[in-house]
Amino acid sequence: MKPRAIGKRRPYVRPMAGWWRRNPFFVEYMIHEGTAFFVAAYALVLLVGLVRLSQGEAAWDGWLLALKSPVSIGFHMLTLVAMAYHSWTWFNIMPRTLPPIFVAGKRLSATAITSGGLAATAMASVILLVVVWRLAA
Amino acid sequence: MSEIEKTIPIEVLRYRPEQDTEPILQTFQVPFTDDMSVLQGLQYIKDYLDGSLSFRWSCRMAICGSCGMMVNGKPTLSCKTFLRDYYSAGLRIEALAHFPIERDLVIVMDDFIEKLESIKPYIIPKTPRALSEGEYLQTPAERDMYEQFSSCINCMLCYAACPQYGLNSKFVGPGIMALLHRYNMDSRDGGAEQRMELVHSEDGVFNCTAVGYCSEVCPKHVDPANAVNINKTESAKDYFLRFVMPKGAKSGAAK
Amino acid sequence: MEVFEADIAIVGAGGAGLRAAIAAAETDPALKIALVSKVYPMRSHTVAAEGGSAGVVQAHDSLDHHFNDTVGGGDWLCEQDVVEYFVAQCTEEMVQLEHWGCPWSRKPDGHISVRAFGGMKIERTWFAADKTGFHMLHTLFQTSIKYPSIRRFDEFFCVDLVVEDGRVQGVVLIETATGQFTLIKAKSVIIATGGAGRVFRENTNGGIVTGDGMAMAYRHGVPLRDMEFVQYHPTCMPGTGLLFTEACRGEGGLLLNKDGYRYLQDYGLGPAEDKPRNKAMELGPRDRLSQAFWYEQQKGRTIEGPHGSVVHLDLRHLGEAFLRERLPQIYELAEEFLGVDPAHTPIPVRPAVHYTMGGILVDGNCAAPLAGLYAAGECSSVGIHGANRLGSNSLAELCVFGKVAGIEATKYAKSVAPGNTATLLKQAADSQISAEQLVTRSDGTERIATLRKEMAQTMEDGCGIYRLGDSMQATCNKIDELKQRFKNVNVVDKSNVWNTDWLLAIELGYQLDVAQAMVYSAINRKESRGAHQRLAGFEARDDVNFLKHSQAYYAGDEAPCVNYGEVKITKSQPATRAYGAAGEKAEAERKQASHV
Repeated sequence: MKPRAIGKRRPYVRPMAGWWRRNPFFVEYMIHEGTAFFVAAYALVLLVGLVRLSQGEAAWDGWLLALKSPVSIGFHMLTLVAMAYHSWTWFNIMPRTLPPIFVAGKRLSATAITSGGLAATAMASVILLVVVWRLAA
Repeated sequence: MSEIEKTIPIEVLRYRPEQDTEPILQTFQVPFTDDMSVLQGLQYIKDYLDGSLSFRWSCRMAICGSCGMMVNGKPTLSCKTFLRDYYSAGLRIEALAHFPIERDLVIVMDDFIEKLESIKPYIIPKTPRALSEGEYLQTPAERDMYEQFSSCINCMLCYAACPQYGLNSKFVGPGIMALLHRYNMDSRDGGAEQRMELVHSEDGVFNCTAVGYCSEVCPKHVDPANAVNINKTESAKDYFLRFVMPKGAKSGAAK
Repeated sequence: MEVFEADIAIVGAGGAGLRAAIAAAETDPALKIALVSKVYPMRSHTVAAEGGSAGVVQAHDSLDHHFNDTVGGGDWLCEQDVVEYFVAQCTEEMVQLEHWGCPWSRKPDGHISVRAFGGMKIERTWFAADKTGFHMLHTLFQTSIKYPSIRRFDEFFCVDLVVEDGRVQGVVLIETATGQFTLIKAKSVIIATGGAGRVFRENTNGGIVTGDGMAMAYRHGVPLRDMEFVQYHPTCMPGTGLLFTEACRGEGGLLLNKDGYRYLQDYGLGPAEDKPRNKAMELGPRDRLSQAFWYEQQKGRTIEGPHGSVVHLDLRHLGEAFLRERLPQIYELAEEFLGVDPAHTPIPVRPAVHYTMGGILVDGNCAAPLAGLYAAGECSSVGIHGANRLGSNSLAELCVFGKVAGIEATKYAKSVAPGNTATLLKQAADSQISAEQLVTRSDGTERIATLRKEMAQTMEDGCGIYRLGDSMQATCNKIDELKQRFKNVNVVDKSNVWNTDWLLAIELGYQLDVAQAMVYSAINRKESRGAHQRLAGFEARDDVNFLKHSQAYYAGDEAPCVNYGEVKITKSQPATRAYGAAGEKAEAERKQASHV
């Protein structure tokens, strides 16, 4: 009897290139990770402001003027949207990163953690806005 | 039984290493009824259209973990995915992502098994107990702390979901971390410290960037993302404690 | 051919195989154990078991009660000395599993919780939510990783035993991934390959439950005992046959016919009460419940569905919160597969084949008549289930007898010298030729799926819940015909790597042999007992002629030769098998008679 050919395993490895475009979940992931860029950019703007403050009144006023330019306003609007989305997704994923939290013997649900976080963020934002508005006035 | 009138196109990624240089898509027209699962569709293809189609399956009820595959690009168990949800456009079935394809819908899962064996996935008793003393006492609340993580059926959908694993297969990955965490959280176990080495190793939990898709696709609601990310904190605590109490530093694993 | 030298080879890595491997490794860590499985161990069908595992724990319970429930449940066809041993080991084995990490469900004080189960007088069923088999299997598999002397052969398909000098000396395997053959030389072999429910059309079993080990032992002259006893589980999903655990009924579920009536009270299981009562109504033994369904069907009182007639499993009164907590897997099964919310709608159920009481004849030490061969688990007939198995005795069996087989196989392996490799290789080469012949030939005409479906249909027709001489004879003829047609089976896939078409053909060969043993054993048993119920003249139990085990011997192309063996009776004389109120009355009378 003719012997059968020795089986040849030849596992095929599929390429990962373009992985994040293949699934809407990953596209969204890349977008919300991308909002970190805006967070970093805004931190940079504030840092520049701090430096300008240390350089005297003229530099400080120059910086405030620059903030009022249309480009700057545009950038800030975009950043606000990005930060909001960043917060939204941050608190949505937060339950996954925490160990179980017990309040009065019952485990806090993921919804409770997310809503709590978002509520705290909203409140802090409102308070900050009120304080800053008053100072500016 | 009502007459079978409808057919649905099922596109399958074939790969026969002895004749194909690379995987190719092949479409089959499969007659179906509303209650048929994707697995039953594949069985029809194998029984009547092409006996050379190979795929893993067994229990048909989402507990053995054999039948994981990609349906329209999403990791899922074929036994509890239903053809009616893809009618009439049809569906595309491929082997589970991020694993090498052995043949058709069969992946090479040696890596998963090796990882499973490497984490000491068994009780390392905190206190010894003779069989004659009966069971360790464990309250329902203590049991709740790990039960969710003990429900993993080793289906590897979470590995197919995890892009970090796809980019770096040395990463320990979600499912195995869930199993590791299951033992750490079991009140009878005292082996967390022994497992910590792997947790903060190069291939450990810090490869995770909280994509979270693993927990989305898990058919048993194990929440492996949770297991991985809790252990980032545990790892940090352990690291810090080693500085504070270098000699005999206890593992920071919360109980 | 590759050769691997082991001391013990275990075929099958489900609950029994894993437990045997651990026991062998603990008995002598120096021995080399080869643990062979055609699937990764966590895929073994033990994983699908739901309800629980028996072990006496309550103060008002006793080994005698467990013994009596088991022997009565088996309609007195049990080896009573083996049952005595069994019930005495169950609890310790369950504690051992607990020490190994099994997440048993607990009472508020932290002790093990036990629940009521069919045919059990007092609650003694340990459970891990409604996924007991899953948790036991994963506990055993993960624990087995601790032992370096256990070498696993995952996804290696066993095609034959090697028997030389009157004893078993190895196993011949196909490595699924490559199609290559391997001989494992071993001084003892344990078969733990599970049951054979897939020979029937509607069954709860996974695709792998094809009687492989039973057929291999059978072909080497080992008798298959009590094969006619096949358990129909009363509450399974219509169409797929997937299991809705007995625990549904243990927790208080009801079975209703099309009039919303708890029909079981008409079949000697009543009276119907609000709360579940052990050994009564929905907590009667499985064979009785399946038989009641059959009668309701005859009377036209079942509900017609797209997959045949059904009755309703009503869990609504238990409430969603309770169901999600105690029966979470059942809830998901009903929702995802049937689109039914059990908290608001009754679940349609019907009986399906679930368990093979019979199997490879072994004694109380799990030793088969062939020297060096052991068997444990569903593939074996060690004598504890008799004519009908009680729920939660099977998971316990895996541990109790898995351990026995491991220890005994170790003892045997140490008592004999290794075999002659050259001689064994020659035999293995013959097994290889035989297996390869299926795939290399090009003139096959019979489609695998056709043969398989015809087998499954005829087994349902002839070996159903109630059996008739004529239909059994028709099935005998049909199986004989299918065995002949199998000689022309066509394996379409000619490749080497992951050729499942080839393996399915080999499995079909196993199934046809096992099916033949089942139906010939059935037609020869001219009485009704336990799960083997006959009509047209043989409705009664006949202790005079048939208080005996059937033993089927392989005869190649000829029909199997069926003869009979004695039943070991110790403490429990055969009595009327009664449940419900009738059962309590009989129990009281029996107690009075023996002044217990």
